[in-house]
Formats: sequence, structure tokens, C-alpha cells
Amino acid sequence: MIVAENLTKQFVVRGVPLVAVNNVSFRVASGEVYGLLGPNGAGKTTTLRMIMGLLEPDAGHVEIGGVRSCGNTNGLRKQLGLISTNDGVYPWLTVREMLLYFADLYVVEPEQARSRLQELANLLDIHRFLDQRCSTLSTGQKQRVTLARGLMHDPPVMLLDEPTRGLDVVGSQAIFRFIDLLKERGKVVLLSTHRLDEAERVCDRFGLLHRGNMQFEGTLSELQSMTGKPHLVDMFIALIDSPTNEVSPQA
Amino acid sequence: MNEYLSSGRLWRLCQKELRESLRDRRTLFTLILMPILVYPLLSMALQRLVIGSISKKEPESRYVIGIEDERAANELRHILDEVQKAREAGASPAIVVGRQTTSPGSRVSVVEEAQSSPSAQDSDVLVGFDIAGADRETLAAALRAGSIDIAIFKFEVEIVPLDRGEASAYTVEAEFRQNELRSESAMSELRRELQLMNDSQAEQIRKRFQPPWPVAMNFKAMGVGENLDAGASIAGVIPLVLILMTITGAVYPAIDLTAGERERGTMEALIATPAPRFILLLSKYVAVVSVAILTALANLFATWMTLSFGGLGQAIFGKQGVSIWTLVQILPLLAIFAAFFSAILLALCSFARSFKEAQAYLIPVMLLSLGPGLVVLLPNVEFTPLLGIVPLVNILLLSRDIMTGESALVPAFAAVFSTLIYACATLVVASRLFGAESATSGSQESWSDLLGRPKKLRLLPDLGELAIYLAVLFPVFFVASNLGGVFQLKGQWALVFNALLLFVLFLFAPLAFGWYRRLDLRSTFRLGDGVGSGEPLAKRGFRWLGYALSVLLLSLGLWMVAFEAYLMFESWSLASQLTEADKDKLKSDFLKVPFWLVLLTAAAAPAVAEEFFFRGFVLSAFRSKLAPFRSVLYTSILFGLFHVMAGSVLSLEKFLPTIILGIAIGFVAVRTGSLWPGILLHTLHNGLIFGMSRFEEADLAKWFGTDTKHIPIPWLCGGAIAIALGTGLLYFSSQRKKIHEDPV
Repeated sequence: MIVAENLTKQFVVRGVPLVAVNNVSFRVASGEVYGLLGPNGAGKTTTLRMIMGLLEPDAGHVEIGGVRSCGNTNGLRKQLGLISTNDGVYPWLTVREMLLYFADLYVVEPEQARSRLQELANLLDIHRFLDQRCSTLSTGQKQRVTLARGLMHDPPVMLLDEPTRGLDVVGSQAIFRFIDLLKERGKVVLLSTHRLDEAERVCDRFGLLHRGNMQFEGTLSELQSMTGKPHLVDMFIALIDSPTNEVSPQA
Repeated sequence: MNEYLSSGRLWRLCQKELRESLRDRRTLFTLILMPILVYPLLSMALQRLVIGSISKKEPESRYVIGIEDERAANELRHILDEVQKAREAGASPAIVVGRQTTSPGSRVSVVEEAQSSPSAQDSDVLVGFDIAGADRETLAAALRAGSIDIAIFKFEVEIVPLDRGEASAYTVEAEFRQNELRSESAMSELRRELQLMNDSQAEQIRKRFQPPWPVAMNFKAMGVGENLDAGASIAGVIPLVLILMTITGAVYPAIDLTAGERERGTMEALIATPAPRFILLLSKYVAVVSVAILTALANLFATWMTLSFGGLGQAIFGKQGVSIWTLVQILPLLAIFAAFFSAILLALCSFARSFKEAQAYLIPVMLLSLGPGLVVLLPNVEFTPLLGIVPLVNILLLSRDIMTGESALVPAFAAVFSTLIYACATLVVASRLFGAESATSGSQESWSDLLGRPKKLRLLPDLGELAIYLAVLFPVFFVASNLGGVFQLKGQWALVFNALLLFVLFLFAPLAFGWYRRLDLRSTFRLGDGVGSGEPLAKRGFRWLGYALSVLLLSLGLWMVAFEAYLMFESWSLASQLTEADKDKLKSDFLKVPFWLVLLTAAAAPAVAEEFFFRGFVLSAFRSKLAPFRSVLYTSILFGLFHVMAGSVLSLEKFLPTIILGIAIGFVAVRTGSLWPGILLHTLHNGLIFGMSRFEEADLAKWFGTDTKHIPIPWLCGGAIAIALGTGLLYFSSQRKKIHEDPV
């Protein structure tokens, strides 16, 4: 389970302080897919980085599986799997070498890593090209390898950062199936995206970020009743247009 | 961190990086193809330069003269041989005209064959001529076709009677190909040889007169200034080329494994893993250094082949050429340099956001490294200890000196030691920069993390801080410890200067650094009293008494161990090479200094300053990651190395005694958790050693009751008992304190 409490992060850009994430709180339970939504620059990636422990929050904290992250970010990262927008592969390594390399980075014992690799190869249908160099793979194959990479250490929590950006319909479909699979396995899934139509299809609950602030949080029906709009897209347009929701950079 | 260092995981991570580099054809290109292409080309270019300027021992081939008449051919051959022999004997040629009866190596008179049959005559001639006879038409055709270089169509001699004796007068008409280098040089060579003959004849005629005709102009020219050793400066080119090629080998993997991670989109996934960034970078570093060393090996081999089989080796290094053993000696130097430069490359490339950006950073660095490289090419640049701490220059000069077989110890040691320290510090910087862009919104944070003032108070310094402090401290210390000699400080002033220097570099500067980096000074430097504050005063007093007694006992035994360890390596010391008079002078200078001043400046001051740094700062930095024993050991090795490098001489004999002392004091510091007992032990130890050195050797021998300088066995047994008692007492007095002040 992920608990984010009052996360705040401020950056200084060209001497001007800018609040990237302001007092954001939410929680995601096991077997639940939570959509962290917002336009570009809303603070989604900064929030994810704070959860991963790559950024230290100025205020607030993160708890993963009941353990609060305070300096022990390396320990917490073993609990997390990350699939990101532009995830690449190592062109000169074979698929097997690359996956085992990541297993080593996540301190998975070699024997366990090999059996895990076999399991994922069957699950994601990558066993045919396990010993092929990554540079020879098609886009779809690379995508499946990336998904396998995120699961090599069998993390209870999956963070998906804009996983469908730049993918065609077939590629996006594969991601949706993957999310369903994660859900079935009882994983905590945090999906960050600005594709609201997709989010509506796969997420159980949503958090709408705008300029670093959490504007709404809840299930789709809760949001509908709160905003009076039928779809996330409409809610967002209303949100962005509304002058009261302007959050100016704080000094 | 430990789970990555153990169970072969680190090796597997390194393997991945190596695979990635070695499978990339761009790496393979610099690794294999470049040496194969560059060296032969370089060899050809250098041969033109070098052989022209240095060697001139043997021409590549002999010039061919065609001559119409076979008898004339024999005569010309005879004349040229005589000129040659006379030149070798250092005398004027005495040519007997028209009297020769033999025709040495008489040749087949077919011009075409003369060109194809290389000369079997003596190879020591400066320039050789093959002479072949043929008829006029064949000669003209052969000259045009280039199969002969000079054609002689007229070769007549007339004997002219003189008042005293006779003289010969030759008429020679020759043709050569204008505007063709080979034919023109053949002509000028022949002209020179024949001119010699003219001179010789004039000389003989002059001597026939009594008294001999005076020489019109007796002329002698003497060159002044240094004789530039062209061979040595060319010998400097080879390490420069080797180092540049080694760098080139490391460049591509360094970019690919760092900036390449960003470009491929694997960086974010990489830094999201729990692997510490230092481990990630370390595995990349191992791969880059390995590729650089492989490149160095390939280049060394290609160099050896070129020098051995291209004739260049003999031209530069004399007849014996360059041995493979010399090149094998250079390999570790290249490896050390690769270790240093790979760290720099990784730091720069980690800072870059893309391949292009990395290349843009690297080009100026490569050009900049050419600058100091060119210093080595200047003739007569001496490898001084000061140059020993200048990166790149030090390794280049050391390689050059190894190749010419004249390396000095102090600069060599300084070069190796400083390069390794710089490599460690740069690697720390690189690991902070690596992946910083992906984690934060800008690289500012990683820089401020490294160099700025942290926001939070920390108990201990980390190893990165230690590496950076050492990289700054070592060159400063090395230069500063030579300043006493520069100012020609003697006796007490030298001692006072040295004490002040130690205080500045080893006490004030680390304290200031600790304050700036917001370290808890009390825990970092172990400033507590080591007895805990929760105990009754009497108990604390008892502990302190125990500490004082135990260090007293330890010092009584330790100086003997240190003294004997010193004697083992005494022959290495510079003092052993001094004359008795010099030794007496040094001793009398030393004895002139009041003993209290010696104790203050040479015993107490170094003890305080060095303890603050070594058992304070350095030991704490090691303790932040390592177990006590290893921390004490590594601290002691550094402690030993700094004593070896102190001053303008290399005191290798001090290494072992200092390490032993370092381990003992380290043990006291860890056990008591306080710096003060160690300072006391260090002061007592230094005091005893200096006390002993005030006695004459003869007095000591009388004292010891032996003939040798060695401490007698009963004394040593006493020392061992003192050490054992001291150790036991220390254990006893620091017992039952579960939480030492040692903060880890």
C-alpha cells in the first residue's frame, strides 16, 4: 500500500522559487489502480520521484507497505517497480542478459532470477527472442521486454509513468492488459498519465493534479457528482478554465 | 551496499558493462583498428624526421652510377673506396692514381642488373654507390628510365708533372635527372666525395714543399650551449602517443555507458533501482578502465612491432632498440593513468545529458591534455618531484624516463600516489553527478551536495569527502613540505616551520572542512574524553588513569618495535647514502636545537595534528562504511604513505614503523572512542624516538650492552611484556562500556 501525506516540493528555477507539488495526499490499496492525472507540468512526475525516493520532499512523507521513507530509500525501492514513458533497452545485450542484469540490481538471487525470467517469458510471450540482442527487436517486442524488466523482482507496488505515450492502439492495448494482470495479482498500481480517456478505462480511483495541487480525488462516480461533468476530460477542461483554481508560484 | 559488494554481484554488474562496451563495434574500432592503422603511419612520418635528424647511419638504398668504360668504372670505384677508407680512418685520402691493380668486387656491366642487385659491400658507408659499366646509349636510356642515378660519359685522367713529383687531373662529365630528388642527391653526394679527393690532393701537394705552403685559412668551429638530446624528446613522443591512444580507447565506452544510458532511455530505470549510484558507477568505471587497459595493451604491442621492425627503435634508442620489457614496465603506468582519466571521462560524461553534449565536453579536455603532453616533448625537461604531482605530465615524464632508463624514485612515487588519489576523488565526483539529472530537476543539487554546505548535521564524514579532501591535501602537503628546503630553513626554524605546517594542514584545515560540511566535530574527531558522562567521577577518573597507564606501557614497547622495523629498511634511507661528515653535520645541527623545542615541535605537535587528521577525520570516514579493523588498517596505510612522502626525499624506511604505530594508535582510538589517549601515545612514542636519537651510536651500544645497533633481546622481551600489559589494561579500563563514544 502507498500512502502519500502532504507531499510538498519546491524548486528554484532561475532564481525564482516554484512549487512543483503542494501538499498532495493520497493512498492506494493493494489490488487497486490509482490514476494520478493532470496536464503536462501538473507535478505528476515530481510526485512519483518523491515516492521512488529519488527526490526528498520538502514537507510530508511517503509510506510503502507501512514503512515510512526516511533516508532508507534504497530499501524501499526494492518494493517498487517502474515502467516509464521512454523506457529503452540495451542494444548490445540479449534480452536474457538485460533482464538478469536488472534482477541483480534489485538483489534477486541468481537462481530465483532465472526461474522468474522463465515465468515472465511465458507470461509476456518473450521466450522466442530471449537470446536475441535487444537492437534486433521490434517496437512491440521491446515494449514487452520493458514490462518484464519492471516485474523481474516481483514488486508489490508498480509505478507506471505515462506508459502509453507514443504507442499505437495495439501497444496501448498491451499496456492495459498488463495493468489488468497486475491488478489480478493484487499489486498496488499507481498510473500517472495525461490520457484521461485511457485512465477512465483502467483506473479504480483518480487524483486530479493541476499546478502541483490535488484538485479532486475519488472514484469516477464521486468525481462526477462533485463536478457535475460526465467525463474526466470535461472535468479537466472546466478545471483548467476556472480562474479560482489558479495556483500562482509561491515566493 | 554490502549486498552488491558480495556474492559476485558486483562482478556480474561489471560484466554487463564490459559486454555492452566490447560488443559495440565503435569500441572495437578504437581498440583494434586504430593501433593497426596509426602506428605504421606514425612510424613512416617519424622515420622521415628521425632518421634524417638522428640516425644517418645507413642509407635506405645505394645510389647507382653508370659509366661508359669498364676500366674507368674500376678506377672510379677505387677512388670512392679510398675516400671512404680515409674518412673512416679520420685522415685525408691518399689516392694513388692510375696504379690500382685490383678491381674490388668487379661488377657485371649490365646496368639493369646493377639496380636489382643490392650491394653486398660494407654496410657502414655513409652513402654508398654502386658502379656499373655500359655503352653510351644504354647509359642514356637507363638514366632517363631511372634505373641509374648518375651517368658518367667522360672520365679521363692526365698526369701532370710538377716541380716536385706529379699530380693527376681528372676530367669527369656526368649527367643526372634534374628536379628529381634521388638523382639530385646522388649527384650532390658524388660531388662531395670528389671534392674530398681534390682537397686531399691539394693537401699532399702542399706538404711536398719545405717548409710546407701555409694553409690559407685554418678554421675551426665549436658549437656552444646544451647538446639537445633529440632521441630523448622523440622518446617522449612515444608515451604521449600511447597515452593519447589509451584515452581514445576509454572515450567511447565512457560516453556510451553514461550519457548513452540517457539517450537509450535506460537511465531512469537504472537509478530507480535500489543499487547505490556509486556501485552503478563503479561497475561502469571498471568496464571503462578495462577497455582503456586493453587499448593500452593493443597500442603497446603495435608500438613494439613498429619500433622493432620499422627500424625506428634503433634510430631513437640506439643499436639495442627498445625491449619488450621496457614496454611491459610502461603498461602499469598506462593502467594507472587509465584509472585516473577514466574517472575524469565518467565525471564529464555523467554531467552531460546526451551523447553530443558529452562529446562537446570531451573535445576541449582532450585538447587540454595535449598541452601538458607537449611539455614532455621539450628537450631536457627534468622530472622533478614537483612535476610528480601534476596530473598527466607526471605519468608522461615517468614513462619517458623509464624508456630512456633513468627514472628517479621520489617523483615516480609522487606520480603514482597522486594519480591514484586524484582518480579516487574524481570517481566520487562522477558518482555524485551520475544520474543526477534524472533524479532532480537540475544538476545544481548534486553539485551543492558535493561541494556546498549540507543542511543537516552528520555524525561522520563519508568516504567521498575523504577522497576529495585527500586529493586537495596531498599536492598541497607535498609542495608545502618542500618549502622548508626552498627557504633554506635550518635547525630549529625547520622544526618550527614543519610543526606549523602540520597544524595548518592536518588540524585547522580538517576542522574547518568538518565545520563547513556540517559534521559533528565531537564525533568526527573523537573529542570526547572516552569515559562516558553517565558514570560517577571516581569511576571516570579510574578509567582515565587506566588509559594513561596503558598508553604509557604501550609506548614503552612500541618504540622498540618501530626502531627494529626501521633498522630492517635502514639501507633504503637517504641517510645511509650520506658521508660520515654529512651525518655528523646533521647530528650536530640537530643537537644544537634545545631538547624542549625538539619535543614540542617534532614530538608533541605532529602527534596532535596527525591524530586529529588520521585517527579523527580519516578513521571516522572509513568507519562510516567499514568495520573497525579494516578502518584502522586503511587509515594506517595512509598514515604510512604520508610519512614516506614527507619532505623532498622518499623515506621508504619509515613506511613499516609508521604503519605499526598507526595500527596501535588506531586500536586505542577505536577502543576508547577518544582521540586524547592516542595523542598521548603518539607524543610519548615520538619523544622516546627523538630522545634516543640524541645519543651517539657508540653510547647506545654501550647502553644496550651489544655490538650492534639492534636492541638486545631482554629489552625486546621487556617491550613485548609492556605491550601485552598495556593492551590488557586498555581492554580492562574500556570494558563494560557497551556504548563507546566511537559513534558507529
